[in-house]
Amino acid sequence: MKNTFDPKIAKELLRIRLSQMLINEQCKAGVFKVPVHLALGHEAIAVGIHLLMDEYDRLILSHRNMHYNLARAGNLKAEIEEFLLKKEGLAQGELGSMNLANESKGIIYTSSILGNNLSVAAGCALAKKIKNDKGIVIVVTGDGAIEEGSFYESLLFLKSNSLPCMIVIENNEWSLATKIDERRCPIHIKKITEALDLKYELLNSNDVYEYSDALKTFKKESLSTSTAVCIEVKLTTFGGRYVKTDVSPFKRFINYHAGATSEVHIANGSLIEESAQDPVFILQNKVSKNEMNVWSTEVLNELTKELL
Amino acid sequence: MKYVEFLNETIRKKLATSKKVVIFGQNVGAGSFLSGLTRNFKNENITVINTPNSENCLCGVGFGLMLSGVDALFFMKQQDFLLLGIDHLVNTYNFIRRIYPKAAFTIVKIISDNGFEGPQASLNNFYDFCSIARAKGFTITNRVDAEHIINAHLLEPGFRMIGVSQRLFKHDILELDTVYADAKEGIFQYFDGSEVTIICFNFSFPLGLELYHKFKENSISASLFSVSAAMRINWDRLIRNLQISKRLVLIDDSKSLHCAVDDFLIQALEKCDIKKKIMLKRDLSDEYVKPSHDQLLIDYDDVVKKLKETDTVRKKDRSI
Repeated sequence: MKNTFDPKIAKELLRIRLSQMLINEQCKAGVFKVPVHLALGHEAIAVGIHLLMDEYDRLILSHRNMHYNLARAGNLKAEIEEFLLKKEGLAQGELGSMNLANESKGIIYTSSILGNNLSVAAGCALAKKIKNDKGIVIVVTGDGAIEEGSFYESLLFLKSNSLPCMIVIENNEWSLATKIDERRCPIHIKKITEALDLKYELLNSNDVYEYSDALKTFKKESLSTSTAVCIEVKLTTFGGRYVKTDVSPFKRFINYHAGATSEVHIANGSLIEESAQDPVFILQNKVSKNEMNVWSTEVLNELTKELL
Repeated sequence: MKYVEFLNETIRKKLATSKKVVIFGQNVGAGSFLSGLTRNFKNENITVINTPNSENCLCGVGFGLMLSGVDALFFMKQQDFLLLGIDHLVNTYNFIRRIYPKAAFTIVKIISDNGFEGPQASLNNFYDFCSIARAKGFTITNRVDAEHIINAHLLEPGFRMIGVSQRLFKHDILELDTVYADAKEGIFQYFDGSEVTIICFNFSFPLGLELYHKFKENSISASLFSVSAAMRINWDRLIRNLQISKRLVLIDDSKSLHCAVDDFLIQALEKCDIKKKIMLKRDLSDEYVKPSHDQLLIDYDDVVKKLKETDTVRKKDRSI
């Protein structure tokens, strides 16, 4: 069943956006010792996965996990307290940022090592099959991690053992400070999946409603065919900046990787970029700008109260 | 019965008492079944998966199964291949070790100590894997430690590695009684004597046993221990024995440079008045990477002679 325009979904996306913006302000103030990886621009897929998950599903994340953790926990304060390594944090201050998991909400493992989480997900998928458990394993990775051999090995294992699994590949085209074309040849994920007789899907609209509907279909197909599906999600990580280099008189764009971004300010509202790359902009096109501003203010007020 | 046959039988008996277990690895369910090590494991509770050659992935799979509450046994043809899975042994386990374990993940790996493999495929360094992972590990050399270690650790919730010796595969399993056995710690004592303490590490127990008999022929009363554990353990029993004998022979046939031997030695030097120490370890000169017999060779007569020399010195000391 398709999602009609449910304002709750829009507000959830705004909550994930504004929560990150508030965290960014704290990063600017130098509050955190742990390395914080914002995921501004990744909100649509995180909300889509959150809406998809039921009590039987398991989610396995990577170092850039904030958007999923915020969505699943529904709690900004606990996330911040985890970054401050307090007992009140999401993982009682034991995990910090890059390994943040939340078993009570189905996030059973998070790895800061590129490609590491894929095979753990394969093991969890195998366990579901052995135990005849309901639900599906969802693992989130990126365009950098698919360069690791573990990506191929894990796909091979999933296929060889007929294991359903959703592999979400967040493709922002950057790994640290290098673009794909600066570090490797293109990888045609679709062709890799074809070679292994796996499924491939592409999400690139940044539309949280479309993502939510599509993910439900992908999950159903993966479970019914006992075949893993690679879902490539093309997105932009906001917060990058132009820097001077020794080799060129022109400033060079460097994508955001971690820590505070001085390019994003909570005072400017929830929208970062007036383009189809921003899930908030896509949302804004579905309602009036005025209504978006009202919702943003409402969500921000709730978050501010939560932090008091 | 051969060493490998006994291991297979003991593991099968243990598996017969288990709930759901996934056994996986290359050739575990086909071909030679790892020279017979994994033959006839299948039963209604046991899933055997003959896997692709993807060691890194297989380590992650094991931890994924463990996290999900399913016991996992990864049988590995050759320890060298586990180098590809080091990330999981260190990083994945660091995440998982903080959680109360719901299930077991055990890697049973064959240590290539047959010799003549050449510069590669000869990684007799079990201790190094346990050290980098800060994980429990146990080696198996005979009937006693095989039964104790397999029964106590194979399916115990948590992660550990068990090393078996390829060299011993076709030898008859050593059968002897123990004076003392602590399966949890991984310490076994086979003889109790008062004049010298022999402690064997890694797979050196057959060498230690031969040395024990050589001492006996020379009327030297020796205690014989085998340390199956790869990591720091409670050394009290060995220390007490050494405090009496004051003479120590340590045997380690591994290629590891930092291991349990060192930890024991530090404590022994601190707590015991040792009159004689004989360390029998591998010569890790450049030659060791060339195809060779790859064994710790012991001149038993020379060891006996050295120990007797100490006796003479001690007697002279007393007469003065």
